[in-house]
Amino acid sequence: MSACDAILHGREQGAPFFAKVDAVIVGSGSGGAVIARELARDGRSVLVLEEGGHYTPEEYGRMTPSHSIRRLAREAGLAVAVGRGDTPLISVMSGKCVGGSSLLTGGVCFRIPDDVLHDWSTGLGLGTLTPDRLAPFFDEVEETIHVETVPEALRSRGSQLFVEGAAAMGVPMKSLRRNTRGCQGAARCTFGCPHTAKMSVDVAWLPDAYAHGARLISDALVERVDFAQNRATGVRGRFLDQETGEPRVPFTVQAKVVIVACGSLHTPVLLRRSGMDTDAIGKHLTLHPGFRVSALFNEDVNGWDGAMQSVYSDHFLKEGITLVGVYSAVNVLAAALPGFGKEQRRVTSEMPRMGVFGGMVHDDGGGRVHRWLSREPLVTYRMSARDRARMFKGIQILGKMAFRAGAREVMLPVFGSEALKSERDLDFLTERPPPAARVESMAFHPLGSAKMSRDPRGGVVKETGEAWAADNLIVADGSVLPTSIGVNSQVPVMAMSLKIARGLCDDWSTYARRAS
Amino acid sequence: MPPPVLHQRDFARTTLRPRHRALMPKLVEAYFASDEPLDLDRLEAFTDEVDAAISTASKTLRAGLVAMLEIIQWSPIFILGKPSTFEGLSLEDRARFLTRLERSSFVPLALIFVAWKTLLTMLYFEAPEQLAALGYPGEKRTRYLSVVSQP
Repeated sequence: MSACDAILHGREQGAPFFAKVDAVIVGSGSGGAVIARELARDGRSVLVLEEGGHYTPEEYGRMTPSHSIRRLAREAGLAVAVGRGDTPLISVMSGKCVGGSSLLTGGVCFRIPDDVLHDWSTGLGLGTLTPDRLAPFFDEVEETIHVETVPEALRSRGSQLFVEGAAAMGVPMKSLRRNTRGCQGAARCTFGCPHTAKMSVDVAWLPDAYAHGARLISDALVERVDFAQNRATGVRGRFLDQETGEPRVPFTVQAKVVIVACGSLHTPVLLRRSGMDTDAIGKHLTLHPGFRVSALFNEDVNGWDGAMQSVYSDHFLKEGITLVGVYSAVNVLAAALPGFGKEQRRVTSEMPRMGVFGGMVHDDGGGRVHRWLSREPLVTYRMSARDRARMFKGIQILGKMAFRAGAREVMLPVFGSEALKSERDLDFLTERPPPAARVESMAFHPLGSAKMSRDPRGGVVKETGEAWAADNLIVADGSVLPTSIGVNSQVPVMAMSLKIARGLCDDWSTYARRAS
Repeated sequence: MPPPVLHQRDFARTTLRPRHRALMPKLVEAYFASDEPLDLDRLEAFTDEVDAAISTASKTLRAGLVAMLEIIQWSPIFILGKPSTFEGLSLEDRARFLTRLERSSFVPLALIFVAWKTLLTMLYFEAPEQLAALGYPGEKRTRYLSVVSQP
């Protein structure tokens, strides 16, 4: 069955809708798409409900960056985590469309580091989360989404310069692995690949689910999970109105198993709205706060020509810092440059000579997801003193790399700051750092807000993904990861969901018996 | 690359009221004026684009953005000591006002500057003539050719 036949657009529905299926899945991103395919392949009737709209690769591949963000991202790309204490206002990018955030990633693929899994399996007592037991799931995910190493020839000149600067500091860089097939180096992965080369879940997982009978409804806002005698029995919600975009036409879905895969920012909201009072819901959110440094060189860099992300360094991993090559659309980069008016124009006119590099902090956590005035959550984040120091050190390292690579000016992500002209100008970042609240930070990996735990007091779900507080309610997205992982989360979320899905299939008779 | 023909219509809601729409060209001019004057006709169309961009966000976020516009509109008396709305200021004073916001030690004021600057810059520099002015050559790419030519 093709995607066109399998997908219903909720915004076009005029009458109330009812369905009865084996499994209803809330969310179609890296968690929901994987579990949809597995259950459909296992012969279950599957309905996926996605709050966002449906756009084909041919459509989003031709959108301008701003049009892509407003249609594919939550809050038109303007979602933030509000800082508590001396904490940056962190821009949090997440998807709201069929395919979820997988359409908006840079395609970077990492497995969960072994030392993190060691902590989970021994320190937290999650015995099934060892490197050996997860390896088959990582293998299968990587094969499905075609993870490959970025060839050196596809590195942009900007990335090459930072590699040179890092080498001058004795910092080794490595090639990244990404989920691509036929990348043409358009450097706009985060707005939807224009060549359908990025193997996001709408390309790599959902078509297989449709082929095995799964159905998907877009523009379908699930407002609560229904329960009967402490067992999930289905969901209800409303389709978004074609004109206003607000919820209007009601729908109800009865299911033997309910799978919540709305991502770390919305899964807690749905669970709370459904009446669950587990203490850990919405707590322990980690973000991997990111930062970006721009630099002007004396040569044409043309950073738009090449892979958007091609290199990284784990040299500072023990200090909680990962460095990653980045780029973006030039108008988005311009938005992050300091100043305005003539000063901004002076810098942006040199866009062909601008290189950009980024990094992120392996954070302590400190984030919370709260329900509040609208259907979007209020996300707060308190950055620890340790993570603030890591962030400023990371920014300083990137600045030094740029100068060692020959940059004549370096622009820091600190608003109100001026361009720096020498390496010594960076000393203040560790000697007299500015308030962290003035740093422009961004996060792409919200995790852990409905975390997995060994006992009901420590988290929200069991190792099987099933909620401690309700039978037949499964959570399968980044929210179940018990701690920060320090690397990009796309493959870890898929592998974790695949593990949960396989367990669900293997034990389906138990879930079905409870439902009957 | 021509824009895609979508198989479903976008939502049609709007956010900016007439008084916000009147403010927008003045704000855009203050953010982006350099040596050459901005085209006022284009600023009108640009306001539509801003409205479309923010109108897919939630009610709370849209209310926040509008509240920021209200603060910009009415706070010159507190920021510059001038008894005028933002629209009533000269271009020079509007730029001075934005500089005060950007460098304010009261972080929420600086965030107002950053929030609207980020949004407006992304949209303003997306116009083909602005992209060309940035030195962006369009869709042409060459690096991947050296990869696909490898055996």
